[in-house]
Amino acid sequence: MTKVTNEVVRVVIVGGGTAGWMAGAALTRLLSGQCSVRLIESEAIGVVGVGEATLPHIRSFNDRLGIPEAEFMARTRATFKLGIEFRDWGRIGDSYIHPFGTFGRGTGAIDFHHYWSRLAREEQDLPPLDQLSYACTLAREARFEHPDQSRGGLASTFGYAYQFDALLFAPYLRSLAEEAGAVRTEGMVVDVERDGETGLIRAVVLADGERVEGDLFIDCSGFRSLLLGRTLEEPFEDWSKWLPTDRAVAMPCRTETAVTPYTSAIAMPAGWRWRIPLQHRTGNGYVYASDFISDAEAARALEEAVEGEKLAEPRLLRFKAGRRRRSWVGNCVAIGLASGFLEPLESTSIYLVQQAITALIELFPGREMEASDRDEFNRVIDLEYDRIRDFLILHYHATTRDDSPFWNYVRTMPIPDSLGEKLDLWRRRGRVVKYREGVFLDASWIAVYLGQGIVPGGGDPRADVAGTDDLLHAVDSLRHEIAADVATRPDHRAFLERYCPMVAA
Amino acid sequence: MSAPIATVLIAGSGLTAWSAAAALKRRAPFLDVTFLAMPPAGDSLSDRIACTLPSLPGFLADLGIGEDDGITRTGAGYRLGTRFSGWAEGLPDYVHAYGGYGHAIGPAAFHLHWVRAARDGRAASFDAYAPAAQLARAGSFVPPSPGTPFADHDYGLTLDLRRQVAMMRAFSLHIGVREVTDPIAGVQVDPHGHVTAIAVQHGAPLTADLYIDATGPAALLRGRIDEAWQSWSEWLPCDRVLLGTQGSGEGAPVLTTVTAHAAGWHWSSGEQVGIAYASAHLSDADAAAMLGRAGAVANAPITIRPGTRPEAWRGNCIAIGDAATQVEPLEWCNLHLALSAIDRLVTMLPDTAMAEVEAADFNRQTLAEAERVRDFLAAHYRTARRPEPMWQAVAQAELPASLAHTLGQFGERGRLPFYEEETFTRDSWAAILLGQGCLPRRIDPLVHGIPAAQVDAAMARMTDTIAAALPHVPAHAQWRAAQMRRLAR
Repeated sequence: MTKVTNEVVRVVIVGGGTAGWMAGAALTRLLSGQCSVRLIESEAIGVVGVGEATLPHIRSFNDRLGIPEAEFMARTRATFKLGIEFRDWGRIGDSYIHPFGTFGRGTGAIDFHHYWSRLAREEQDLPPLDQLSYACTLAREARFEHPDQSRGGLASTFGYAYQFDALLFAPYLRSLAEEAGAVRTEGMVVDVERDGETGLIRAVVLADGERVEGDLFIDCSGFRSLLLGRTLEEPFEDWSKWLPTDRAVAMPCRTETAVTPYTSAIAMPAGWRWRIPLQHRTGNGYVYASDFISDAEAARALEEAVEGEKLAEPRLLRFKAGRRRRSWVGNCVAIGLASGFLEPLESTSIYLVQQAITALIELFPGREMEASDRDEFNRVIDLEYDRIRDFLILHYHATTRDDSPFWNYVRTMPIPDSLGEKLDLWRRRGRVVKYREGVFLDASWIAVYLGQGIVPGGGDPRADVAGTDDLLHAVDSLRHEIAADVATRPDHRAFLERYCPMVAA
Repeated sequence: MSAPIATVLIAGSGLTAWSAAAALKRRAPFLDVTFLAMPPAGDSLSDRIACTLPSLPGFLADLGIGEDDGITRTGAGYRLGTRFSGWAEGLPDYVHAYGGYGHAIGPAAFHLHWVRAARDGRAASFDAYAPAAQLARAGSFVPPSPGTPFADHDYGLTLDLRRQVAMMRAFSLHIGVREVTDPIAGVQVDPHGHVTAIAVQHGAPLTADLYIDATGPAALLRGRIDEAWQSWSEWLPCDRVLLGTQGSGEGAPVLTTVTAHAAGWHWSSGEQVGIAYASAHLSDADAAAMLGRAGAVANAPITIRPGTRPEAWRGNCIAIGDAATQVEPLEWCNLHLALSAIDRLVTMLPDTAMAEVEAADFNRQTLAEAERVRDFLAAHYRTARRPEPMWQAVAQAELPASLAHTLGQFGERGRLPFYEEETFTRDSWAAILLGQGCLPRRIDPLVHGIPAAQVDAAMARMTDTIAAALPHVPAHAQWRAAQMRRLAR
């Protein structure tokens, strides 16, 4: 029999930070009247947030919540991000950008990369691929202006995301969530009460003895995975044999060079180093595999590498790549690090938080917790994790580096069959496995394949029809057109200063 | 690297095979394309069903065949959708149109709002909010017209098959396809499962780098390599189709009506009429009599074996159309699946190595697409409400996992989960499921966030807007006549 589920669901979020407050803000704003939100966090527990780089999807999250861009950027001291620069990955000395945009004009029946790789096979004199992408060129020139969707020209062929201070993002979301009715409780969860029969979580008990009951518990406790991992003991699927980095040392510094509208990921002897420029400082960190380098050595390498005066002492983080087998078990949904971890190489952490929140809102349960909602949620989240996993592994595996034991390991390690097949298809004929769903679509795979020096041995035969000279001419005029248009766009920092100057602390 | 392919041989007789020839030669002009003309395959539904989905107009456009040549001069009519009658007892007819149904209100999709309004007795029928469905019900037609309520639909066609094939053949020959008419004497396959030659009765054996089998269910080429088959007969009960012709003064309707009967369904699309049925529940003679009573002359019954080859592509041979997948013509998917395979092949042309990994990628997409079409068709039966034994049996079969998941999610809260390679939009799924009275058990919480009065007002505006615009749209026949006049000028 049909029934109307219209009762208020009591949501308890355990853990603040980026995941907790993103969830809190989204639930209160989008499901107002359908749920009550109580968020428990402790100032005694640190927040992992280390200056975050995001993906363009964050914009739709902000839009849905009615967050004005300029205000958000000013509050979080954000900069624009057009892509990620990868340095020294395919081999030392290389640099390419994985753009949030296309190569070429993005309009042809045959993908641009087929033409480019055909010319490369013919050993023609080609400009770097970056110069044939509007997004990459804008990024390299450190300029920014919003994409121009009105005319469908080159200036419409890119998207963008933000680089912001995660430690400021959470408080900003907190103010939105509290405005919309979320209740914050300062406290440390010391015990979890479960129903003896169903195993569902009934309440969490705080250090001061308070008992907080709920219908739905959202675990945003970070790596501790307090509810899903420790209490419900959901098994962890370990992916470290493919993604062996397990620590990071982070340290902000003063910005000495350009405020680049992109994040950099610079390969290091035992991992890689991030560089994320914000308005007021630059975030840095060395993600490494502890089997291949000591903590002290990694910290020293980071201090030597950063560009400006350090603004804090190096801080150590530990993690393991992988995820809990299911993210939603019983009446507990883990979001963010509590559900799994993939290294920040492609800035997917906040994206995964956002996807989990979106799926939870679309599948928001009634008090009775239907299995069908859980199953579909877990299906959606699995798909995201699996596809990101393969994409990350590609960065390590597609290399010729043999200058350190770490790179020798990742270059020669066995890879998942799903990735092996993708690589085969690319190497043979420049084919990209097509998906509609999932975060990294064709252009991303192409950027990394070509950027890391895998030029396919063959291609789409339709790209062989045009004459070489005609193609070279087209490439040349594309490059000039992009360069000329980009030159008219404002400097990134100047744009920020006009559009969203940071708010003083 | 292996050499590129240079020669393709396509075997077949009808629209499917000629479409493949035209697309390959047009979009990969470096290929030498030979068309081995076969006698007409009467049981090849992708060649025989006059109604098409919107994929055909798109396919023609990609070939550079404009509407004047591809539609008007071939005498095709426009189709905006299908009306389902008698599928759910006690419920009115409903329309599956090729366009949007309502629009999202706040954070929730329209169909979720509609469910609440319907439950509270405050909604018109679901298709009342679909501009294309209302156009179709009124017998009117316009192509998508920006700035009007009729801006976001697609349209299929009702073909005059003989003229359409003639056009596609003339086009193919014009762009350089070579036609050979010589009966097949034998297909030679090597131990690796590669076709090495096709022996013909009169000329020298024909060889090619790549063979396309569009010979219909007989699969004269591909069937020689293996006969692996995934059967769907548990979920798609009709194993016979009987086609007929009738005089049609008014021409093809813009809305094709599909009416359920005790052992299947029947339709009329102008000149072509047909009946699909389960032979265990209706004899061929009785089916012919049913068509006869409607004034049509029936042809020989066609046997269908619902299902698909798990690997349409093996070695150097690719099956398309009914050689690859057989389904009853419900929702007009036969030619659609063939056109989709052709498009896929154009972007995934192999080289002479015929790498298995490339065939596997093609097969993965092709199979996923076919299985979701199966799910969509099977959903019509699963959610139908009729008392007869055939309908009852199919309602009790254990479902394929993907369809069980879709129906489970929809039945619970109106969610339509995403699947790759889906042919039909979420609105299409919702149109069928809601049209057949399959209502979600729960109202989505996102809907409760918007006050009912606000939703009522928004829904009323939608129907008002459609009603206000409808009188200014020409009747389908008028639109066609205007196109003809324009050409004749």
